[in-house]
Amino acid sequence: MRYVGKKAIVFSMAITVTLLTIIGAVFVYLSREQEEEKILRFGMIAGSYWDVPTGSCYKVVDEAIRRFEEEHPGVRVEYDSGILKEDYPEWLSEQILLGKEPDVFMIPEGELEILVSLGALKDLGTLIKRDGSFDSDAYYEGAYMYGSIGDVQYALPYESVPTLMFVNKTLLQKEGISMPGADWTWEELLAICCKVTKDTDGDGVIDQFGCFDYGWREAVASNGALLFEKDGSAAYFTDPKVEAGVKFVRDLNRVNEGYGVTAREFDQGKVAFRPFAFSEYRTYKPYPWRIKKYSDFEWDCVKLPAGQGGQGQSRLETLLMGIGSRTRQEQMAWEFIKTLCYEVETQLHLLEASQGLPVVKEAVQSPLLSQVLGNDIPGNSDMDVEVIWQVMEEAVGAPNFRMYPAAMALADGEIGRIISGEMSVDSGLLKLQREMNGLLKQ
Amino acid sequence: MSRERAFISLQQAAYILNLGAVCLVAGSMAYSILAIVDAMEAEAFLNLIRVRPWKPQTMLVAAVTGYLCLVFCSCLGQLWENRRRALRNAIMALEMFFCIGATVAMNMNYNGLVLLVVSDMVRGQKGSKQKVVLGVAIVGLYTIVNYNLTGAYFNMIPWEQFLTAYGTSTQAFLRGSLSVISSMNLVLFILYMAMLVQGEYRERERIQSLNDQLEEANRKLKEYAAEAEKNAEMRERNRLAREIHDTLGHALTGIVAGIDASLTMLDIAPEATKQQLTKIGEVARQGITDVRRSVSKLRPDALEKFDLERAVTKLIEDTGAASGAEIHFENQAASLKFHEDEEEVIYRVVQEATTNAIRHGHATKIHIVISRADQWLTITVKDDGIGCSEVKEGFGLKHMQERLELLDGSLRYEGSDGFWIAARIPIRWGEEYG
Repeated sequence: MRYVGKKAIVFSMAITVTLLTIIGAVFVYLSREQEEEKILRFGMIAGSYWDVPTGSCYKVVDEAIRRFEEEHPGVRVEYDSGILKEDYPEWLSEQILLGKEPDVFMIPEGELEILVSLGALKDLGTLIKRDGSFDSDAYYEGAYMYGSIGDVQYALPYESVPTLMFVNKTLLQKEGISMPGADWTWEELLAICCKVTKDTDGDGVIDQFGCFDYGWREAVASNGALLFEKDGSAAYFTDPKVEAGVKFVRDLNRVNEGYGVTAREFDQGKVAFRPFAFSEYRTYKPYPWRIKKYSDFEWDCVKLPAGQGGQGQSRLETLLMGIGSRTRQEQMAWEFIKTLCYEVETQLHLLEASQGLPVVKEAVQSPLLSQVLGNDIPGNSDMDVEVIWQVMEEAVGAPNFRMYPAAMALADGEIGRIISGEMSVDSGLLKLQREMNGLLKQ
Repeated sequence: MSRERAFISLQQAAYILNLGAVCLVAGSMAYSILAIVDAMEAEAFLNLIRVRPWKPQTMLVAAVTGYLCLVFCSCLGQLWENRRRALRNAIMALEMFFCIGATVAMNMNYNGLVLLVVSDMVRGQKGSKQKVVLGVAIVGLYTIVNYNLTGAYFNMIPWEQFLTAYGTSTQAFLRGSLSVISSMNLVLFILYMAMLVQGEYRERERIQSLNDQLEEANRKLKEYAAEAEKNAEMRERNRLAREIHDTLGHALTGIVAGIDASLTMLDIAPEATKQQLTKIGEVARQGITDVRRSVSKLRPDALEKFDLERAVTKLIEDTGAASGAEIHFENQAASLKFHEDEEEVIYRVVQEATTNAIRHGHATKIHIVISRADQWLTITVKDDGIGCSEVKEGFGLKHMQERLELLDGSLRYEGSDGFWIAARIPIRWGEEYG
């Protein structure tokens, strides 16, 4: 190498080193700025997650944070307030793109799979294994399993809402029908519906109905049918249990002779049954919502009726929480997620300040439940807490694979056509199964 | 402009061009994330790519830092061109590492950096075996950084997806810029390779021409040697002729003339004839002395100066030093003192056998033993050379045999495992010559 060449090379190297030094200096300067006290970021949804009116949405979380900060001095938990449920996925996505996702955050329904496939969630397996004080049996299985994909636990349940059957006691009493028991069946529901569906004012139009809003999803769940493999690798829409469920809904709808029942008729006390989410139930009757809905009937809650193949399992919706995979304070995040999702104190607080149900058995089975429910429900309407225990034990969480929302939308459309009589049950379900196989392969 | 200058200019142009490409790709990716967040399309974007990209600033910093480290290594590799092989290989490996790192940071959306590494590899590697290694390395590197081949497995996000954050005209501008930079980079690479290949071709041509010259010189040298040998032979013949003429010719002429005179005088003066014959005898004796002196002039130089054992030892030392072969001489015959003609034959046998072993057998070890049993002296020479399955009686062997036969000796040889040769000579004890 001649002298001229050497000089040019050394010159290039000098420039390179200078640039590298500048980058390094900026990096060091920025990272030094970030060093402050230990901050744990928490991502939460403002307002009610269950789409029902709510008072203070931060009550439970603020209280939990206060206790957590007391137990862990030097740690501060921060959250962005005011992110509504509909804005939350976008907000979370933005944080992920910017690399600023919270250490612990809520996972709305249907978001778990995408977050896992993005690699945004920490596998909780090792944390669970390492933590001797944590026992997954403390949770209701349906709620706990909802936080896993395959065999990997990615999230812990925070709050659940099971579906219950609302019964218009006033109407049944008027018709001289006794309240259905805990182990009632489709046949009983159908029989009662047939009995109460009539024209009461003699104008030739039916104005009293048996059931509102009871769809194929409720029927299939309460018949113990499995629609999908947990990982979405297969669908079972031609299963006899599914077929029976669809047939039952079709039969139930036929009772109304084509009249489309609405929520208004239910609020007016003209409908005997309506499946209700627990959160709606808790906000239905108390003041001021009662005034708003003009309801003046006594009501009660029972389990969903069982099909021949099931025990009347209800669908369970669950709000999950997970730990960001890029968190720098893994252990602290785990302690915090446990404070929210595992500590009985927080879970009990949920009973008072939120509309869902706790997911920890001990909290649900505490005397506080009936006390809280008693406060919510004035008059002589009552609530058998054992119904809730049973429902929570049996409830099944929806699968959370990627194509699940699309698959269920497809099924809604096709089964809607079957129920409206456009297609026979057999061929309709067969067609749906074929389309479903195609969809799941994507 | 000198070749080195041209090389370095090309290289530096490539460095700058690639820096532009890295900044363009990584910068557009990082900025697009900010734009997506601004436009509140983060959820849709994540649903589309289904992969979590790196933080925007991490992406940019990692790509640029990786690239600068790559350039640094490349420069260092050129500066340390003549250092140890292991050091150069280590730098090359680092260069490859940074190339892969920077390319991955850019989500494999720009693979022009490979060309930089490849040109460095091609320049640094010589020899046929290295070419194979080089080929494998280049193919491997290209495979690793090629989005279409491996991008999907490494969760890489195509540039196109990032570009969706920009307006159509900006997209077109960015695409166009990258395309221009890529093409220019390719052109530079091809130019660089062409120059490299040309340089190599020139080098080869130069070596070829040197080789031709050497061959010519060699041929001339051979001719000259042959001529010199011929001249020497001629001179030797002339000397011999002169010697014979001067000694034997002189003596014989004297003898013939004396005998003729004796024949004439025999009847007249028998006494004078007797005297004459005595004189003739003296002339004949003188002739013999002269012949002996002449013959002794033909003896090997070493034998003239030293006794046989030292002469043989010296011969072995000289041959060993000249050829690099390890020659072992074992004398089992106590003192080696024989008649001159015998000593000469022994010397010549040893000389011829070792010369053969080195020249034809390419031997590295030669074992020479001289032993005696009764009146028989045996010389064995054994080597570890290639031997020969079918021994052709070359000039050397035939010559040796002839020499030995003059002394009633014999020669045996065998060439299956190295070459083995044994000469037997009957020694004349106490026999006096003349």
